[in-house]
Amino acid sequence: MPKVPLEITRRTLLKSGVAAGVAGAVGTNGMRGAPAFAADIREDAWYRQGEIKITYSVCDMCPWSCGMIVQSVDGVIRKVDGNPKDPKSRGMLCARGQGAVSFSQDPDRLRSPMVRTGERGEGRFREVEWDFALDLIAQEMNKIKDRAGQEAIAFFGHTSGDHWWIGHLAQAWGSPNAASPASAMCISPRDEASLLTFGFPVGGREPLDWERLEAVALIGSHIGEDARNTVMQDFANLHARAGTVVVVDPRFSTVATKSDHWLPIKPGTDTALLLAWMHVLITEGLYDADYIDRWATGFQQLEAHVQDKTPGWAAGICDLEADQIRDSVRALAAHAPRAAIMPGRHVTWYGNDTQRMRAVYLVNALLGAYGREGGIFFNRAPYIGDVPHPPYAVAGSAGGCSAEPADDGERGPLAAGPTGKVRADGVRETFLQGPTAMQELIEPMLTGQPYPIEGLICYGTNLLKSVPDPERTKEALRNLELFVAIDVLPMEHIAWADIVLPEATVLERYEDLYTMATDTPYIHLREPAVEPPYDVKPGWWIAKELGTRIGLDGFFRWEDIEEYLEIRLRSVGSSLDGIRAEGGVLIQQGRPFLEDHEDSSPFLTGSGKIELYSQTLADAGLDPLPEYEPIDEPPDGFYRLLYGRQPTHTFARTQNTPVLHDVTPENAVWLNAEEARSIGVADGAQVMLENQDGAISGPVTVKVTERIRRDAVFLAHGWGHDSEGLSRANGVGASDTKLQTSYALDPISGGAGMRVNYVRIASEA
Amino acid sequence: MSSSFLLDLTACIGCDGCTVACKTGNELPQDVSYIRISERVSGTFPNLVGSIDNHRCLHCADAACVNVCPTGALFQEDGLTRLNASACSGCQYCVQACPFDVPVMANGVATKCDGCRDVVRAGGTPWCVTTCPSNALMFGERADIAAEAHARATTMRAKYPNGQVYGESQAGGLGVLLVLPDDPEQLGLPRDPDIPRVTEAWQDFAQPIGLGAIGVSVLGAGVAAVIARRNHMNEMRALEEAGAGAEGNDDEVTP
Repeated sequence: MPKVPLEITRRTLLKSGVAAGVAGAVGTNGMRGAPAFAADIREDAWYRQGEIKITYSVCDMCPWSCGMIVQSVDGVIRKVDGNPKDPKSRGMLCARGQGAVSFSQDPDRLRSPMVRTGERGEGRFREVEWDFALDLIAQEMNKIKDRAGQEAIAFFGHTSGDHWWIGHLAQAWGSPNAASPASAMCISPRDEASLLTFGFPVGGREPLDWERLEAVALIGSHIGEDARNTVMQDFANLHARAGTVVVVDPRFSTVATKSDHWLPIKPGTDTALLLAWMHVLITEGLYDADYIDRWATGFQQLEAHVQDKTPGWAAGICDLEADQIRDSVRALAAHAPRAAIMPGRHVTWYGNDTQRMRAVYLVNALLGAYGREGGIFFNRAPYIGDVPHPPYAVAGSAGGCSAEPADDGERGPLAAGPTGKVRADGVRETFLQGPTAMQELIEPMLTGQPYPIEGLICYGTNLLKSVPDPERTKEALRNLELFVAIDVLPMEHIAWADIVLPEATVLERYEDLYTMATDTPYIHLREPAVEPPYDVKPGWWIAKELGTRIGLDGFFRWEDIEEYLEIRLRSVGSSLDGIRAEGGVLIQQGRPFLEDHEDSSPFLTGSGKIELYSQTLADAGLDPLPEYEPIDEPPDGFYRLLYGRQPTHTFARTQNTPVLHDVTPENAVWLNAEEARSIGVADGAQVMLENQDGAISGPVTVKVTERIRRDAVFLAHGWGHDSEGLSRANGVGASDTKLQTSYALDPISGGAGMRVNYVRIASEA
Repeated sequence: MSSSFLLDLTACIGCDGCTVACKTGNELPQDVSYIRISERVSGTFPNLVGSIDNHRCLHCADAACVNVCPTGALFQEDGLTRLNASACSGCQYCVQACPFDVPVMANGVATKCDGCRDVVRAGGTPWCVTTCPSNALMFGERADIAAEAHARATTMRAKYPNGQVYGESQAGGLGVLLVLPDDPEQLGLPRDPDIPRVTEAWQDFAQPIGLGAIGVSVLGAGVAAVIARRNHMNEMRALEEAGAGAEGNDDEVTP
């Protein structure tokens, strides 16, 4: 009998009966009996090749970070499944998660440290020893420090180990210029709006109490295409209870097919819709007056503000029917407070995004959802001690999905480096507050203003497939004195690096404990299933070895990562063996609802209340209540470029993963059917896309569809790779990033609004 | 004793988690998949209706593939159809006969879902069911699965007035009971799939004495009849779809 772990028994309704059936299959139920050889089909299967080893990890195939059980046989990873004890995966995984095995086994992986031998961008390297590469980096970092100060080196990072680089190492070294694409190019408007309104960020997991939620509205959230595992599970359960689903999207997305109300809104007009929803809630008396009275300030200003924002007013702006607007919000209100708009994830759209997100939260507040069962709960971070180290030279500023909020919220002092220079991204000059805006650190590399960024350590971030205007980014990379890239695969930006350090995947390395602030705060173990292949190393090892070489050995006072983890786990009365015995996860007590906070207000604003009217914004000369501001229209012959996800791929990271590429081998440009007829483009045609500035990407397949408005086209993000090292993904599909030569800076959060680009169908490819 | 899958198409959100779990767990080669997800949308903007297709072996009790298989590589066990690839001769009769377009060829032999036979026999759950984040899949005793399917269809009639259970009668009863959001015809499923009788009669008689010359010739005739009937079914389906298409556009695509 093969040893298949019984973690996989979820949803087995009848186990003993199956086992009994095996012996007595012949002749049962009138069926033809199984032939004699039936006992040994799939005799070469992996699970028959040796003992199955079980280890615990956290999925790194997207930032959602689901707890996993990894099965390996004889040093080869074979299968991953969700860890049933993990509050995020609950024993399940999405396609990307299931593709983690294939990601680790991609033959295109970086295999050895390399030093550049050709020009930047040529991708010519020679392989070197780790000691040589690390000594060289340390030497160049010290040169920059002596000449221009620690602040002149920027740290960019994303994926599981990014905290070593944009957190620990950057703070110890003394650079406030540490950034993650997960902030200013994804969630920072969402979290800054939440800080302004409630005094806390949304956090890594949007705290909807899905189990008891009865109605949800999704504004540009594409559940199912955006395959965040827990959210798909929670949505499915709501839908299976016949819960109410409102979807606001210019596109008939997958989740729109499951909606009760689909509002095919004109792109960029969401704030008008939200103001009209508030108008209906207030004028029809559908809002929770007692709740607002007890927990909110500024209601009278809000009431006056939305007085004239009628559904009729919004209908003309949003290209919707007034009745649709009225009916959809009434459908939500009928279930209040068990009703909410999901904050969403990627919200950097048009540059006015913090204001739009404030409008989302004001609707949720009027529904009385915060701190209520079935509404939106309060997150709590798990307690766990840190490994002692000397004081950091600079406070954290990276932000991102799970990091602490930057200390410049509420307009406190800005993070400054040892030589006194504050962040180079323009905070307070061009935008109000928020974690370091990664895209704003490109310009200092080019102009030297406000001071030069001369070095860049880039961990797991494909610069040329994430930051808008990749041609500008290439120019910036050409200017650098030092560019170090740490990654798993030869992504586009690797060809521009001076020194390339290949990393082990999360399945091949220990990683710091994963901690999640939620209603059941928890800590998850990340341990290796197998040894790292080739000459690749874990990120923690690279950070420690480099840190030691640049005089930061005091920040790495542990022999190896196991000692580091044991010290941390001891602070919660556990150990590596202890957390393994608990199934890889330690769960603590949360304080999710209002009644858990009778000692003090759960709202951490200056007033201790939900600030419907924001004095902070008024003081900064910004709108204290969200206003609808029209955005530019596409030029004649151009369509607004919308972008989103495929459920099988993450960012620009997985298009080359063999099994995921096999299932979804390209992206396609969605074009409205009537529009396609009018311009004579056929379904399946291969075309090039050209944007308003002449940037071209493709060839890409046209998907002619009824599922999108005529004024917009849609691309799944991350395609159009042009790295020759990516043997499957190279040259496939169109790159949305390449067509985003422009972005609109959010004056509050520093977010880069990217839906301000337009494309036309340039030609048959 | 009889096992069944539940496949709830009102719940499936098309994430392909099942597809990749299956491909990885079963070590399927490139370009081979036991599951294919696509979206089906009809109507014109903005009046649209959409659903997910989750195409996979439906494990017919009266299985065309088993009926036409000349070597016994395809067989039935525990209410599901199994495939022993090492016994497959590569004749492709099953590929031609299946009314649901399921078996495919890989490395010269037929392949298809075997219900994760080994995993289930070891006390586990099929890979696809384990990972499904939208709770669209279950696996268990048929009576329990049937009860669950009906309960779900009843609840979902609030959203899908034509919601119904599919597979209790088709092809002698399917080992995958589907919860559909609409009538089967609207979702590309035959209300009454065509299953060969001629070859079944032949096979029941001829198989015990092996593949004699007479048997093969009879088999040939039987398969020809099956394929002719299947082609006829396809034509009928195409005609039906053309009729439906007059009211709206069919837009079936991989997400």
